[in-house]
Amino acid sequence: MKRKTWVRLDNASNIFLAAMTNRDTKVFRLTAEMTSIVDPKLLQKALDKTYEQYLLYHSVLRRGVFWYYLVMSDLKPKVVAETLPPCSPLYHFDQKELLFRVIYQENRIHLEVFHVLSDGIGAMWFFEDLIKEYVYLRVHEIAENKWEKTPLQIEQQLEDSFNQHFRQEGQNTFSNAARSAFFSVVKTSKQAGKVVVKYSKKTSSWFGSSASIESNKKRVYQIKNKKTPDNRPRVVDLSVPLKETLQLAKEQQVSLTIYLIALFFESIRKAETNFKQTDTIAISVPVNLRQFYQSNSARNFFSTVLLEYTYSGEEEEFNHLCMSLSKQLHDHLEPERLSQRLSKLIKAEYHPIARISLRPFKDMILKLINRQNNRKVTVAMSNLGQFALPYPMNTYIKQVYFKTSAVRPQFCMISYEDSLTISFTSPFIDVAIQKEFSRFLSEAGLPVSIAVNQVTTAELGGESG
Amino acid sequence: MSECLACQATIEGNWENCPLCGQELEQEAVTVQSNPYPPIPLRYNRKRVLSLLMIFTIIIGLLFLGIEEIWLDRNQGLKLAVLGIVSLWTVVYTLIRKRRNTAKSILYLLIIVSVISIYLDYSLEWNGWSTTYVIPVICIFADLALTISMKLIFSKVGDYILYLLIIVILGFFPALFLFLDWTTNPIPSILSSIISAIMFVVLFVSHRKIIMCEWEKRMQI
Repeated sequence: MKRKTWVRLDNASNIFLAAMTNRDTKVFRLTAEMTSIVDPKLLQKALDKTYEQYLLYHSVLRRGVFWYYLVMSDLKPKVVAETLPPCSPLYHFDQKELLFRVIYQENRIHLEVFHVLSDGIGAMWFFEDLIKEYVYLRVHEIAENKWEKTPLQIEQQLEDSFNQHFRQEGQNTFSNAARSAFFSVVKTSKQAGKVVVKYSKKTSSWFGSSASIESNKKRVYQIKNKKTPDNRPRVVDLSVPLKETLQLAKEQQVSLTIYLIALFFESIRKAETNFKQTDTIAISVPVNLRQFYQSNSARNFFSTVLLEYTYSGEEEEFNHLCMSLSKQLHDHLEPERLSQRLSKLIKAEYHPIARISLRPFKDMILKLINRQNNRKVTVAMSNLGQFALPYPMNTYIKQVYFKTSAVRPQFCMISYEDSLTISFTSPFIDVAIQKEFSRFLSEAGLPVSIAVNQVTTAELGGESG
Repeated sequence: MSECLACQATIEGNWENCPLCGQELEQEAVTVQSNPYPPIPLRYNRKRVLSLLMIFTIIIGLLFLGIEEIWLDRNQGLKLAVLGIVSLWTVVYTLIRKRRNTAKSILYLLIIVSVISIYLDYSLEWNGWSTTYVIPVICIFADLALTISMKLIFSKVGDYILYLLIIVILGFFPALFLFLDWTTNPIPSILSSIISAIMFVVLFVSHRKIIMCEWEKRMQI
């Protein structure tokens, strides 16, 4: 019998399609800054080899009457030079195209992924293997030409770590690889005899930010400004030393994520002229559910929590803000609240009405839910944690960056060795918030390095399309 | 590599002024540095596109008012001008949005043109020219054109087969016009129905498996 080569898309991923716009493309980018100029031919070879191992990445997205579905394609990805703005659209209706792209530019390798395919953690596995393969080929080529022997260590380390995530049993067919992460959780929880999912629980919200807002009376501040002319995001990358930044967070007795969120809040308060000193700032923070539930799926498997802070109008202590945010995050991560959140997501996944509604209708409802949720959010952030490569491969990479398309100002963070990169993306031209953020860090004594993209005709030196 | 004294930060790339605060930058040692963001020209300018669209809309509106004044005896007010503008932009929008799937594009255009012709016929004193000639004739041409060109456009039958089937089924609609006696000349409608019936049978017999497979994929609940 012919193997099934298509699988319907889960509800969790449907939200990205419903919320996708030309500006908010739902594409995110991982970048590795290498120590030398990237060789496109070797990168292509590395991509071909990595691609073979990741069946999920062979998917193209199609539209059905009730659902979107992923179909396994026989397309071959091609590495391309950077000619498009960061996080440009990857999915176009009615077009069969892969949901990721690999780009090179001077000494940088970028992987851009459509969020429907995978979340940041899932994409990092692919990226890690791609970079390892590239470094391996690069060293190998040098070895063949110039050295007598290839360092054995590199080979051994490569063999050990290659595709550890995807060669697992059960992910060797397309439909298994492309199956929703929520499905695997239901399956494992049933097998263990524990019903994590409480189907009977009544819930009004369908998907999205599951953190409830205690009060609707607060005025959640919305940032409004002049948008970029051709929908490209304004990117501001900050690079700082990881240890010293961690030390700053430690002084406030909070985690690095919370410390940077607090700095972001303060930057908004300082930079935004319309901000009233009694307004609330709310930030949407994704939580990787793989830390709490056993799942090997590379598909989307996260939930979001909303952290907020209402200013009192008086001079406030920075530490108070840090502590408040830290406590909120801690509360959100309590096992019971998490399981409630997961059950909501799974309930949405298997809801009978959701299943029989026509796709355009579902899209419309999800769009409305998304719009409603957006009103409760000022900004967003995402932390991918640490990107790590074994020695001696790590010596070929300088820094790693992570950023995503944005409907509102947001920052993404990722660290590599002792380098922390904080990448802001925003739909607005203005960079006042980013300036304040950067100055907070440099005033604290950190050496800050800044990279900004050009978004206006003036910045591009008069070039226009 | 340059330095912004106001921001106390190193600025990467070829900026003359600090991209964050606008201050002039202090150039550091002349080292060849990679540009993290290559200058990518603007793809379009939303403001300019919008103003162009507005100008076009006004010109089309005036054109329709002129046609109405010169060729039509009755004064329809702004009705025809508005219909002209709406139809034009609907067609343009459909063509742009469906540009990646020709079969779908033809299907949508077939429906839009049919609806517009019925409305025009109705609003200019109904005498059945839309249901007698326009719709059956465009159905016949859509059927034939698609059959001839599809294999050249799409490499896979599965990509277009369902749209082709829907277009063929739409070709049966003129039979309904006959039944309801909305026509003044039965020949175009009869022709459209016969061609559609033949095509339907041929398509179904030759691609039954693919049709069923596509149906299952697209209709899965």
